[in-house]
Amino acid sequence: MNLSGVAVVGVGVTPQRKRSQRNSLQVALDAAKLALADAGLSHTDVDGIAARWPGPGGTELAPGSADWSTLLGVPLDWIGDSYPQGVPALLDAAGAILTGQATTILITGGQAGVLGGGQVASYTRPGNEFVEPFGAFTAAHFALVAQRHLARFPHARRGAAEIAATIRNTGSANPEAVMHGRGPFTADDVLAAPPVVDPFTLLDLCLASEGGAAIVVTTLERARDLPHHPVVVLGAGMEWMRQQYVDPPRYEQVWPIGRRAAAKAFGLAGLGPCDVDVAQLYDVNSLEVARQFEALGFCEVGEGTDFALATGIGPDGKLPTCTDGGLLSFSHIGWGAPTLKIAEAVRQLRGQAGERQIPGAEVAIAAGAGSGAQYYNLALLGRAR
Amino acid sequence: MTVLDSTALTADFWAAAARRELVRPVCRDCGHSFFTPQVACPACLSEDWVYRPSSGRGTVYSATVVHKAPSPGFTVPFGLGVIDLEEGWSMLATLVGDRLPQIGSAVEVTWVERDGRTQPAFAEATS
Repeated sequence: MNLSGVAVVGVGVTPQRKRSQRNSLQVALDAAKLALADAGLSHTDVDGIAARWPGPGGTELAPGSADWSTLLGVPLDWIGDSYPQGVPALLDAAGAILTGQATTILITGGQAGVLGGGQVASYTRPGNEFVEPFGAFTAAHFALVAQRHLARFPHARRGAAEIAATIRNTGSANPEAVMHGRGPFTADDVLAAPPVVDPFTLLDLCLASEGGAAIVVTTLERARDLPHHPVVVLGAGMEWMRQQYVDPPRYEQVWPIGRRAAAKAFGLAGLGPCDVDVAQLYDVNSLEVARQFEALGFCEVGEGTDFALATGIGPDGKLPTCTDGGLLSFSHIGWGAPTLKIAEAVRQLRGQAGERQIPGAEVAIAAGAGSGAQYYNLALLGRAR
Repeated sequence: MTVLDSTALTADFWAAAARRELVRPVCRDCGHSFFTPQVACPACLSEDWVYRPSSGRGTVYSATVVHKAPSPGFTVPFGLGVIDLEEGWSMLATLVGDRLPQIGSAVEVTWVERDGRTQPAFAEATS
């Protein structure tokens, strides 16, 4: 069995809110129940889990995922304290399944009851002694990369604003999005919004919100007996460059991050960028979407915003991107957010995305992280044949 | 206000900062300057490194302006940058001055007080 023998058979996304009344453990459990029900499975079918322990309570040090054996009331054959969730957890699960360690793995996480108000979200502010005293936070690291890029390609500023407006308008139309009904926005609205960290305004930057997200992963063989058309992992790749949000990012090194991961993923899949139908890119900011088009081989360096505008990344475009409204408008739930990308990709590939369904979606990208984070990962998912 | 940890690796950096001296780790085996301080030199993995003084002079590699306070205690807007020091190492730091340094600006270290501690910042070079 190879990677494409691993299937995502269940997805669960809880209501996403600016501030939730539940806690992180509760939303992770909510998402797990939704994903298992979607898969037509019971929690007693799970024999592996990647979830850490989101708290409150529980094991404070790894392996926190082991605590789930108590909550689920079942012994587990495998646990993975993957960081973050999304593609790294999916690949850990695939490895466990391919090596016969487990057959049905639950990946769940998210955050709730943790965000304060009126300041930069605490999880985006590393407590490091060479970061915190200088006032840096995650978006500022991305901004330091963006400033170098815009010094080279000034025209990309307006193009990035167009990207932000497009994705936010996609989310505005999605009743499940945190920012449903907000907008429509134009590029001028994005440029005129309150500045947060140059070059980014409030509308260029992703949300910090609350909710849970989960997926269930098993073998394609088993997936054939489950309710939904199986979605398989066609290829995937990861890159880890440096300690995230502590070592300052170097533009020349991190702007192309994802190029090797994409080459690996497309190579495993036997596909190229032109085969991708929907792109769930990791839209932590507007310019980062353009960067991924460049790094992943859709276009040359400096052409990312032009590519997005010429191709069309809205629901009616040739490459619908962030079809749920993305991190910019749907939700960003900390280390669980990358799982949202897989969940939306699976819904599109099953043809179950409702009013936002992209007709004929056969191949999707689900991505995580980016230049300022100094790591990146992506998976190519497809309808099983 | 957060009490910042100074580990054994970094206590001497902050002790020097209190004297308004900028220092960086230099490997005694291969001569590599690096930052942030690590248990071993990232070039050759030797643990035999020492803090040596920096001229505090360098060039702004990247610069931004923060308009939203990351936490209470910050007055916005303020400058934030990555500085390439002339000894071949880099650090993240606050940018200060009536005219905020831009990408490519020649800068020199200056010192600011925050949370009862002296910390480096960089301003346009005066000479």
